[in-house]
Amino acid sequence: MTIDSTQPPEPVDDVEPLPLDETRHHFSETLDGIKLGMVQMGSLVTENVRRAGDVMLEGRLDLAPVVIEHDREVNRLYAELEQLTFETLARQQPVAGDLRFLVSTTRILYEIERSGDLAVNCVNVAQREHGLPQSPKLTALLNQMVSECCSLFAAGVDALADMDPVAGAALDAKDDVLDDLVGRYYTEIGRVSEEIGLETAIQLSKVGRFLERIGDHAVNVGENVAYVITAKFPGDTHAGVAEYE
Amino acid sequence: MDLTSAPDAADTAAQPASEDDAGTPPAIFDVENLNVYYGDFHAVQDVTLPIGKNQITAFIGPSGCGKSTVLRCFNRMNDLIEIARVEGKIDYHGVDLYGLSIDPVEVRRHIGMVFQKPNPFPKSIYDNVAFGPKIAGYKGNMDELVEESLHKAALWDEVKDKLKESALALSGGQQQRLCIARAIATSPDVVLMDEPCSALDPIATLRIEELMQELKADYSILIVTHNMQQAARVSDRTGFFNVELNERGQRTGHLVEFDETGKIFTNPNVKATEDYITGRFG
Amino acid sequence: MATRNITVDTSALVRRSLEGKRINWFDQFVAIALLVSLLSGLLILATLLISVFSSGFSVLADRGFDFITSRLSPDAADAGIFQAIIGSLILTGFVIVVAFPLGVGAAVYLEEYAPDTKITRFIDANIRNLAGVPSIVYGLLGLAVFVKLMGGFTGGRTLVTGGLTLAVLVLPIMIITTAEALRAVPQALREASMGVGATKWETIRHHVLPVALPSIFTGAVLTIARAFGESAPLLLAGAVLSLFFSNASGAGVGEYLFDEPYTAMPIVIYNWARQPQQDFVALTSAAIIVFLVFLLTVNGVAIFLRDRYERK
Repeated sequence: MTIDSTQPPEPVDDVEPLPLDETRHHFSETLDGIKLGMVQMGSLVTENVRRAGDVMLEGRLDLAPVVIEHDREVNRLYAELEQLTFETLARQQPVAGDLRFLVSTTRILYEIERSGDLAVNCVNVAQREHGLPQSPKLTALLNQMVSECCSLFAAGVDALADMDPVAGAALDAKDDVLDDLVGRYYTEIGRVSEEIGLETAIQLSKVGRFLERIGDHAVNVGENVAYVITAKFPGDTHAGVAEYE
Repeated sequence: MDLTSAPDAADTAAQPASEDDAGTPPAIFDVENLNVYYGDFHAVQDVTLPIGKNQITAFIGPSGCGKSTVLRCFNRMNDLIEIARVEGKIDYHGVDLYGLSIDPVEVRRHIGMVFQKPNPFPKSIYDNVAFGPKIAGYKGNMDELVEESLHKAALWDEVKDKLKESALALSGGQQQRLCIARAIATSPDVVLMDEPCSALDPIATLRIEELMQELKADYSILIVTHNMQQAARVSDRTGFFNVELNERGQRTGHLVEFDETGKIFTNPNVKATEDYITGRFG
Repeated sequence: MATRNITVDTSALVRRSLEGKRINWFDQFVAIALLVSLLSGLLILATLLISVFSSGFSVLADRGFDFITSRLSPDAADAGIFQAIIGSLILTGFVIVVAFPLGVGAAVYLEEYAPDTKITRFIDANIRNLAGVPSIVYGLLGLAVFVKLMGGFTGGRTLVTGGLTLAVLVLPIMIITTAEALRAVPQALREASMGVGATKWETIRHHVLPVALPSIFTGAVLTIARAFGESAPLLLAGAVLSLFFSNASGAGVGEYLFDEPYTAMPIVIYNWARQPQQDFVALTSAAIIVFLVFLLTVNGVAIFLRDRYERK
């Protein structure tokens, strides 16, 4: 073969590069599967929070085993998805957005799983107390708290399903509402603590703390979603990665 | 089912997979105590493993560990080397490939091969694909067979208007896909690939890996690669080969570990495997 | 301020070291010396051609086609090289028909089929030695074997004898060049062919030989040129120097090959060069011109065929 030194060297790539979505099918499907699994987990937890509310507010102690059963499913999904995530990290050499996604997945999985546990904790309190005291003001506050918490967590799961950084970043502000409610809840507990007894007061305030923590976890989920897309945590002024259009 | 085999744990290794095992595919090859000698030199020692049907099995390991030598035993290409001697058993669908009545030429029709550097014949694209079936006495519609093979190799759209042009005018990645089409034109059920992407650029490599995933449905694929990330991405099971000095001071290759790829790359059983895949030794 | 000065100085330093300083005299000298060697070779060739042309052109100009169609004659004015041309062409044909298949076949066996043993290597080395044996020795071989030993079959000093002798002479060259051509075919091609289930012969026939064919033709060109110009073996194996009464156009083919005396162009040139008469000098040159034309034509045909196969 003679080399014609008067011509520039031929490009060695294939003539027509494939469109972006046609290579690494298997990898793309795996990532989609992981996201779907997380959304499933998140939905299960959202439902469980609502059910925990029913258990606490309406005395539906019969729902307690359902909550526990569903949380077992959440834990199973957690183990499975985490294993899959680690294996994908090992085998697919992800970089850039894919890497941020998989690393964030490990964090999000933790946030969701913890939230599930906290919902179960609420149910346990209700069981221990054989139903919670029916003080109208407390009940109203608790009702609002559960409602707010559910909506916040669902919003987090939605942001995750859509991979929407804006929605994800907005959760922080939404959480302030819940925090405010919990603050008022504590105040009310303090006010009636003598009537209901110290033990009950402690258990009741635990519930407040559980719901507040679920809200925080939801915010973390949202922030991780924003990180995956923008490579920055919301409110972080020193991110070292370039912004995408 | 314990598929790992440290050299002295031969009794736990090579249980032939059957469909009864939970979710394990049937084995298309059963290799038992395979040893390869080049004259006096003991190149490969006591390899025992099953190769799963419709799976992608990868062989990885440092240079000179015998993985290509082992691969070439599966289609009797080592017969072409005068001083090569193969001992042990390779069962293909239960038939010993090295049995006395077995014709190596027929073996190579059933077990195709793709080589490291794309080596299309210096003929037209059409003739490249048609050659194998033609000499095998194919009596059917050759045009259809060529088209089908090129479709399966994800090359048809790019070459359908220039079938009569020389294969050498294609790019490297296209040539390799042509070699794949050529290999599958004789309707094998196994395709052996000896470092098929090492001469290609990254985009061409990814396309071939994608193609392998598609081909898995119809063929069993056995790939030797020195790129362990490729093995991690693409294979269902991975065999790690390594070199050791034997009693006579020769560098003999042997199989260190053979398992599901996910397991090998997240939590291998043998330390040597972990050292290799983490790049602790070359 | 100081920084900027340093930058400027560095830049000047770099410029000085990058710009060419001296002309590389040695390189130039080598290029010129090589050119001189090329020109020397061309000069020698040119001298040959010029002297031959100037000497022989008059004959061709005067007698034209007659020179080519006339028979040998002791009279310079009548002598022509017709019989020599026919003889040379037939001998070349013999070489092609005998040496080409035998040579290619032997080379294919040696390169593709023979196991790499001491015997094979011994044979290979000896074929190379044979290629260097002086052609007169082949003449002796031809005399001993084809003329004397097989005289009953070949008819003694005939074209068959001469053809076989020349064929044996060029056979080693043919084998060597074909073997080299086969060795140059990349092993990857054979592997690719065997990999889809071709037998050894199918691989050779469909892939190895077609790729090697251009180089094999080059070898054929060399052998034809060699055979065309050989005189020593023919002298021994029976070519006749002066041929006055052979009917080159009248006899049947069989008789002509097996019975009749013959001659060839180099022989005639040799003979005419020996003649004392002055006229034969010009005749010799004229014969050389015709000989060169034929040689170039024969070579040209072989090269044309080679190029055709190469393009395929």
